Amino acid sequence: MEAVLKNVASAVELLAVAAYSDAMSQWDEKTLSRAFHWARYCEHVYTRFHTNSAGRRVVEKQLQHTNARLRDAFADYREVSFMDLPRCEHLLLLALLSNPHLPISTMKILFGKKDVASRYYDYKEVTGLCSHLIQCKSACKVLCPFSGLSAVDADAEVQGEMLMKRLDALLSQGSDPQQAEHFLHSVLLLSEEAAHHSCLVITAALLTASDSGTQTSSQSFLLNWLQKEHGMLQHMGSTLPSAVLKDLARAHGKFRDAYFSALKKWASEMEYSLNDGEWLPEGTAPSLSFQEMVEHFSDLFDACPSLRRNAEDELLALKILDGDFDARGLSVWGDILSELKK
Amino acid sequence: MTELQQPLSQLQETSEPLLDAQKMQFWLDKAVAWDQAGGAHAQKDILRHLRGLTDFLKQVLAQISNIGSTAESMKELPFLGQIVGRLCWNPYVTVGDTNRGLLLQCLWGLYSENPSNAVERKANQWIRKVLCRLATEEENPAAEILMKSTGVPPKEYHLRVLKKMVKQHQENIGKTCCPKKSTDPSCRCSCDVIQTTSEAFVPLIDCPEASPVICSLLQHPGTSFTDALSEDFLDALNSTDSNLALDETALVSVWYHSLPRLEEAVLDLLESVISTGSAPQNLEQQVLKTQLPKACAHHCSMFLVVNDIFRSILRQAEGNLVVQSVIQTFTRCFLKELEELEPQAKTYICTFTMNNNLLSAGKSQTSTSLKAFFPQSPPSLLVPLLTLPSEMPQEAWKNHLEWLTASLQRLTEQEEEEEDSQSSRSHHNGFETWFLLVQCSHWVQVAGELLVTSEAEPCSPLLWLLTFYYHPTNRWHCRAAHLEEAKKAWSHLHALSSSSVVSPTADHLQPLITLLSPKPQPPSPAPLLTLSLTVYSAVFCRLPHSQSVEFFHTSRWCMRLACTMKQHVFSAHCSTG
Repeated sequence: MEAVLKNVASAVELLAVAAYSDAMSQWDEKTLSRAFHWARYCEHVYTRFHTNSAGRRVVEKQLQHTNARLRDAFADYREVSFMDLPRCEHLLLLALLSNPHLPISTMKILFGKKDVASRYYDYKEVTGLCSHLIQCKSACKVLCPFSGLSAVDADAEVQGEMLMKRLDALLSQGSDPQQAEHFLHSVLLLSEEAAHHSCLVITAALLTASDSGTQTSSQSFLLNWLQKEHGMLQHMGSTLPSAVLKDLARAHGKFRDAYFSALKKWASEMEYSLNDGEWLPEGTAPSLSFQEMVEHFSDLFDACPSLRRNAEDELLALKILDGDFDARGLSVWGDILSELKK
Repeated sequence: MTELQQPLSQLQETSEPLLDAQKMQFWLDKAVAWDQAGGAHAQKDILRHLRGLTDFLKQVLAQISNIGSTAESMKELPFLGQIVGRLCWNPYVTVGDTNRGLLLQCLWGLYSENPSNAVERKANQWIRKVLCRLATEEENPAAEILMKSTGVPPKEYHLRVLKKMVKQHQENIGKTCCPKKSTDPSCRCSCDVIQTTSEAFVPLIDCPEASPVICSLLQHPGTSFTDALSEDFLDALNSTDSNLALDETALVSVWYHSLPRLEEAVLDLLESVISTGSAPQNLEQQVLKTQLPKACAHHCSMFLVVNDIFRSILRQAEGNLVVQSVIQTFTRCFLKELEELEPQAKTYICTFTMNNNLLSAGKSQTSTSLKAFFPQSPPSLLVPLLTLPSEMPQEAWKNHLEWLTASLQRLTEQEEEEEDSQSSRSHHNGFETWFLLVQCSHWVQVAGELLVTSEAEPCSPLLWLLTFYYHPTNRWHCRAAHLEEAKKAWSHLHALSSSSVVSPTADHLQPLITLLSPKPQPPSPAPLLTLSLTVYSAVFCRLPHSQSVEFFHTSRWCMRLACTMKQHVFSAHCSTG
């Protein structure tokens, strides 16, 4: 463990030198390659200790210590946390490229052609590192307009996987569930514009086939969180395609129930407009038309036949409460039921 | 950096003298338009101009290097900074190796090691900033936050997203064509899918992560029979430099759709055999490794193309024995593959015999399918020549060869008569006759072996066959002279091998050397033939090793040719044995 801590300290110092000092203008290709090896070492340290809370605490303590020293040495020093360790290579790259003292010859290596048969055997992993990254990013952008092949976009799918993996780790550490909730808040509740994307990420996370106990409990945790986040649930219900909602309802009973409750709430907020001869959404309800509302109920019952009987009884009870009229426009429940019977 | 292999001078030669303001304006307008349009709408236009863009960037690069100073370059090439800057952010430009490499080289070209003025200092700063942003900036804030919170580095994230996109496309291709009755609007005909997907992947043709989809597109059963693959896709396949990691089926599909790539494969094979001078036992391996015989067995059209390539090479380089042995090996491998493909088409046929008591039988394909593969060859010779010696009893070889020779003689004499009467068709037939013999030169090896191992008089049909093989053209009726020379050589060799002289002196060998040495006049009429006879003797006769070594040593020119010939003989010997 001593050795590991020493190495981590050295690696973090190396990162600082790369970012803030002009000493790295002397770096040659071999040094560059070694620097990246150190970065990869940090990634191994993270993998080893991120589920081991005791080990993690020790590493964090070392990091605090090293950070304090480096803060004294470099004015603009940005601290390195435990969660930065798995992204060390990226941080090193960022440090190097932001440093105005980086020799242009080194940049040429990083942006050179990714040559598998490179004669620079020692640093062939470094050669073309940036070039390949740019190619990947560009390829994703080029293929983006041709997405829509599956319910959820590729990037949402990958983000869903990342979300679940982190959630698994947080929950399995036996740490405070508040930490996991805070994590979900910080990555999913970003902004109005990002809400739709967050819906897709949550969908992807919930639809990944769970083949382990941890995954099931993580998905359960996510669903509990979702039930409390009415805004997110509302967004999901009103923007996701029906096929996706059906899949979600089929896969998770909790979602089915939460979705059914949400639909009832939105229906209850509808008001009948005499001018239009139609039920219209009011207040905070999502702008779903009456027909769309009916379709949502219908799709839900198609996906979950077991729900249908009890649900219809519930809706009937609500209709009776409204006066049990059969005429249109008097009870949203009656009208929904009669549409469903067609 | 290996980006730009050509020396700068070559670049300057190919480029126009100066890039004018009009051209710069054109590309600036394009760059701006592409930025603003974005997405699939821009794609068509960008793809149409990609090759032009490559040429333009090469010119820019040449001019920057020529000028040598950033400040001057910025002055002489208006809008240079804007154009380069915008193109750096265009994913269609940065996804391909060539254009990305050229753009980067332009940036290096504009970077000044020792900036001497404000323009250069600013340019340096800008270049560093652009490169840093290109490599590290994340455009999607939600993704960035998630990456930081989950400890996933951008490199891993983008690679995973790309692989997932590729996988989705692959699965989409894999779905079968839906039945016509289906009313599901989301179900599309697989031809549409192939077309759209191939369009989408045109810019990604040299992206290694995209190769599973490219393979799937090429291997899809629909693509072989329809024009489902987009034209742009096939163009991109033709012009990419990168070695796509294609498996066997995909490779065959590439050749099927792209004539230049098939030609490239054939020429690569010939080049590698000629340059590495592979040992005969490796020649078959080399040919098989290219997958060409297998591909040609599946597609008759490919076989015809490959043979056309061989024909044109032979016409240009008569007497190139290495090429001839490649052709023979290729044909042999091809026939084996064909037999495996269509075993039920085999029929036993009774063939020709001079001696009524000796019936020789040979296996072959039905003559109709053979004719498809050898449309220009004399039909009467097809089966007799394609039959391998190993498929016939050894006693029948001599008769078979005599029959073959008689037929060949008849055909060539006919051709020569017609040539005299100035018919153009005949010359073509003559070449085709000879070409078929080259493809089936296993019989020539047998003839050589029989010739040198037979006792008494030289068997003139066999001698004629060998002469025809090595010196097919009968310009100015020189075949008679060739035959004479061949007879002489044979006599000398026969004498040598049957004599009791243990170690021949130079005197003994002199007549042969005289025949072979490239004296100015009169030049030896049949050097290849004479040499071949010598080699046959060396291989098949009781000619002691020392004698042959001695002989070859005396003529350095012979040595090289002898090596080639030995290859030739050995390779055929291996096949007939």
